[in-house]
Amino acid sequence: MLEINELHAGYDELEILKGITLHVNPGEIVALIGPNGAGKTTVIKSIFSLANVRAGKIIFKEKDITRIKTHELIELGISYVNQGRIIFKNLNVKENLLIGADFLQDKDIIQKDLDFVYKKFPILKQREDQLAFALSGGQQQMLAIGRALMQNPSLLLLDEPSLGLSPKLQKELFAIIQQLKDDGISLLIVEQNAKKAIEIADRTYLLEDGNIALEGGKEIIKHKKIKDVYLGGRY
Amino acid sequence: MVFTQLLINSLIIGSIYALVAAGFSLIYATNKFLHLAHGVCITVGAYLLFLLFTQLNISFPIACILTIILTSLFGLCLYLLIYRPLQKKKTSSVILLIASLGLLILFQNIIQLFFGANVRSLGYLRIEHGLTIFGAIITKLQIIIMCVAILLFIGLLFFMKKTKLGRDMRAVADNKELASIVGINPKKVAIYSFLIGSALAGVAGILIGLEQNMEPTMGTELMIKGFTGAIIGGIGTVAGAIPGSYMLGIAENFGIWYLPSGYKDAIAFILLFIFLLFKPEGLFGVVKGVKE
Repeated sequence: MLEINELHAGYDELEILKGITLHVNPGEIVALIGPNGAGKTTVIKSIFSLANVRAGKIIFKEKDITRIKTHELIELGISYVNQGRIIFKNLNVKENLLIGADFLQDKDIIQKDLDFVYKKFPILKQREDQLAFALSGGQQQMLAIGRALMQNPSLLLLDEPSLGLSPKLQKELFAIIQQLKDDGISLLIVEQNAKKAIEIADRTYLLEDGNIALEGGKEIIKHKKIKDVYLGGRY
Repeated sequence: MVFTQLLINSLIIGSIYALVAAGFSLIYATNKFLHLAHGVCITVGAYLLFLLFTQLNISFPIACILTIILTSLFGLCLYLLIYRPLQKKKTSSVILLIASLGLLILFQNIIQLFFGANVRSLGYLRIEHGLTIFGAIITKLQIIIMCVAILLFIGLLFFMKKTKLGRDMRAVADNKELASIVGINPKKVAIYSFLIGSALAGVAGILIGLEQNMEPTMGTELMIKGFTGAIIGGIGTVAGAIPGSYMLGIAENFGIWYLPSGYKDAIAFILLFIFLLFKPEGLFGVVKGVKE
């Protein structure tokens, strides 16, 4: 579904990714893990033209999307939930949801998507007229994911979705991610929480210093490298 | 009596400041740099009306409409020809600020070159006795100024709240990177904000041209006042810039009840400093942050 071949990318003079090759199959959850500064976020930013791609190709459903415009990406079915400041704080909840769905034109489809999102996150329906900055951190993350779902994506890119959430909310979030997979959406997830990421992902890539150091299924949690980088040290 | 007169004077000048501040804030909110050349757009508006109406003898309503359209396009040209190429080179907002100051001075002098430094007047309305309302004197033109301004503000706020383009503008003002991630075209939003903001400057130019006289440097002073109004209200919020500007008008006019009238500008500057030092987010700026 998504193929990234020999991607070199960075910001201005700085080269962060030094030849990354990875792929996401339909209906799969793929996790990108690695230490800070390894280039995880840059992979996603390259897809959305927020980083400078120097060389390499990004292919989605057999179409070269390496330097495509953002709104075309969304129309093709790729949505992105970025890290940190993830919602429009001064717009109300409903506006936040509708803003991504403009390209859909058809009012019935938009309403159907809205109902789908509200069913998944009932709290958003209750608070639809409130400004988004009044939501809690966890609700803001739900709103961000809800906003992306409004775009009817077939591939969802999530950058550090669990960042700053309490363990209880993290648990809920990972359950939601699992549900999205069951709904037929493919996911590429950048995660700090390596253990949890490997657990929910079908396949995991470990990034180190702009290169892919390791690739594998759930069994890689036992790999020495993962233990060295993560589980032995900080986790 | 003095009180009502001062209040009415405050509302008249506040309307003009608010027109300046609303356009300036709209452009600031979506582009995040100080477009000080907004001041010269007002001057361009006033002189365009002078040129079209008194020199080319175009009928007054048509001259007004043409003035608004041309001023709007003038503002857009500044964006497309100067700011946008600079932004593409990833210049900082300080460079853009300097460029805008340069444009302000440049066009002020170009206007002076063509029209001279003398004070000009439109002479469209005859000087007439004002009406007396609650003991305060107000001319018909002043009533029109207030009504036009208020109608435009209602229209602008409705546009920002209820239309898709207005919502996109608020989204870009809120978080530009996220706006492009969700598929909003920031260039389109910038173009419309310059068109609408500069059209408001054109309206301000027309109203001032009618109410007072015009001179090439008129835009600079108005820009400072509009900027102050925007800061008081909370820069980056169009809805805040409007009441902020009326408050500035009230402070200036009631201030000179006690102080010599020469201190009028000083009052504006003192307010500007106080707000920048102690409440830089303004009265109506939204406090950002996550509620935990």
